[in-house]
Amino acid sequence: MAGKANPKSRVHDLFTAFLGLSAAGVLVSSPWQVDTSGPYPFYKGALIFPLLALGLMVLASVPSIIRLFRSSGEASWYLDGGGIPVKPIGVLTLVLAFLAGIPFVGLELSSFLFLAATLFYLGHRSAKVYLGMSLLLTALLYLVFKYFLDVYFPTPWLFQLLGG
Amino acid sequence: MAEHLYQALLATITYANIIALLFGSLVGIVVGILPGLGPMVGMVVLLPFTFALDPGVALSLLLGVFCGGYFGGAIPAILMRTPGVPSSLITSFDGFPLTQKGEAQTALSAALVGSFSGGIISVFILMFLAPILAHVAASFGPPEYFAAGLFGVTLVVMAYRDRLAQGLVLLGLGLWISTVGIDGPTLVPRFCFGTLAMQNGLHLVPVCLGLFGIGQTLILAERRILQTESMSLTRKTLDFSKIMGALRYWKSLVMSGVIGTFVGLLPGTGSILASFLSYETVKRTSKDPEAFGKGTPEGCLASEAGNNAVPAGAMIPLLTLGIPGDALSAVLLGVFTINGIYPGPLLLVKEPVLINTLYLSMLFINVAAFLMLAIWLRPFAMVVRVSNTLLAAVIMVLSLVGIYAVNTRLFDAGVAIVMGVLGYILLRLEWPVVNLVMGVVLGEILEERLRESLSISEGNPLIFLQRPISLCLFIATALIVVIPLILDWRRHRRSNAAG
Repeated sequence: MAGKANPKSRVHDLFTAFLGLSAAGVLVSSPWQVDTSGPYPFYKGALIFPLLALGLMVLASVPSIIRLFRSSGEASWYLDGGGIPVKPIGVLTLVLAFLAGIPFVGLELSSFLFLAATLFYLGHRSAKVYLGMSLLLTALLYLVFKYFLDVYFPTPWLFQLLGG
Repeated sequence: MAEHLYQALLATITYANIIALLFGSLVGIVVGILPGLGPMVGMVVLLPFTFALDPGVALSLLLGVFCGGYFGGAIPAILMRTPGVPSSLITSFDGFPLTQKGEAQTALSAALVGSFSGGIISVFILMFLAPILAHVAASFGPPEYFAAGLFGVTLVVMAYRDRLAQGLVLLGLGLWISTVGIDGPTLVPRFCFGTLAMQNGLHLVPVCLGLFGIGQTLILAERRILQTESMSLTRKTLDFSKIMGALRYWKSLVMSGVIGTFVGLLPGTGSILASFLSYETVKRTSKDPEAFGKGTPEGCLASEAGNNAVPAGAMIPLLTLGIPGDALSAVLLGVFTINGIYPGPLLLVKEPVLINTLYLSMLFINVAAFLMLAIWLRPFAMVVRVSNTLLAAVIMVLSLVGIYAVNTRLFDAGVAIVMGVLGYILLRLEWPVVNLVMGVVLGEILEERLRESLSISEGNPLIFLQRPISLCLFIATALIVVIPLILDWRRHRRSNAAG
């Protein structure tokens, strides 16, 4: 289990530098990302504010970038003892599969499979819990989104394929 | 005025509004009780459902979660010394010792009376102060609005100045995110990276839901947040005599409610400061200050009245200037603007019925949350036993399907996942995520006002220093940056000299 984050850890500088350098990249490429050939002067144009925002990011990250390059062997990379977030990565993989599954197998089947797999993965070993809860929640999702709110969901490709 | 109030009362007691505020309060209490969730998660999960609702009803629903969350947070703080919301930590100073002495009912009654009184007092202050502030703000033009927005953003950044660089990076990122998509005035696509989906911009709902809903859920999936499952609750409901007993501290209640409202009014200060300041002030003026920290109902009551006054306090700058003071009111601002309602001084003139409905709904929410907790205390307290991992899976699927439902675009759900990963990283790093949300919400307003101001002055940035109100706000902004930094530097130098 992760504890409190260490404020002295170099991980903070590393992530700040990553965001700052990414902002610098976007800043440099912004003349190609935003068309400024229109009749508007710069101060009325579409680029002034994004440049200020990106400039703020770059400037604020400069101290972290300098610290990162100067960091000696004593620099600590310890963050919070949580280690590699294996469980969140696993859950995220299941989430991506769930989203990708909606156009293939539809909301109901995709939700049921996601919930059952996630609950099992997160330690619920009783079939009553992981299958029962998944079934109950899928029914609830169907009722709320399809029945009451009448939200459009794409016709599943798999069913189209099977239906010819 | 009386006519508007009457119409607002009629709008407040419609079935839809009553159901929304009751449901919102219920959800708020539940997410407030559950450590690791909090009202923000409740609000963002419900956000997609508000698009189908009337603006007044949508706001009642979200305000119910906002206020209900603070009510609920005290329960695990008192029974298990695990605050449901961060500001309830102060409540546990006296609440948990009382529980250990077998007086959980006394602590819970005091906390509940405190929450209720703080909520009611702050709504009355809001009703009194909002028109005055709106009158002052009526003379604002684009430069003044820009200066006020900058002041608000700076207050938030300086509130987390121990992470100044990271706070500024996140603010910049939020401001940049707000610019993605087609620019309204020039119709030029910005930072769409050649994709059609990005042209609609990155909406507030997937961004907030990702950062808070999915980010927090990933933390829940990984950590066991609750420290204990034991609870010492002897009755199903609250003891009425204990509730009446708490009322003898009425002076502390009023004092804490007023302090909480004014702390809530300042952007970036947050409910923890409101709770702490109320607790400390009441402790100093109490007849029995030694009892604080050892288990006195006055301590529970002061801290809860302080933090429960924050939502109405935060509504004052939001309604009159359109500047949210924290992430929760930033989401409310998003709901306003999505419905085509733009908070500012004219809102009180243009939408008097909506504003009065909002005030009355907040009063009703406080009554509803108080009654719900007083009657169903034990069932609510049992909520803490719901498995974290089960909650994580439910919130995840509800959030993603909810986001898809807003625009029926899987792209939005993808944005939420990316933001969820970012939110998870920021939560692990303990960076101020609120800065990012403030940037996303205020970006559009700041950009619009900046460009309008520069258009008036034909590109001369000195316009901000040539108008008295704008100049005062810029000076105030400079002072809130410089003074704390000087104080920090002096403290650092003194501690170095002593060490």
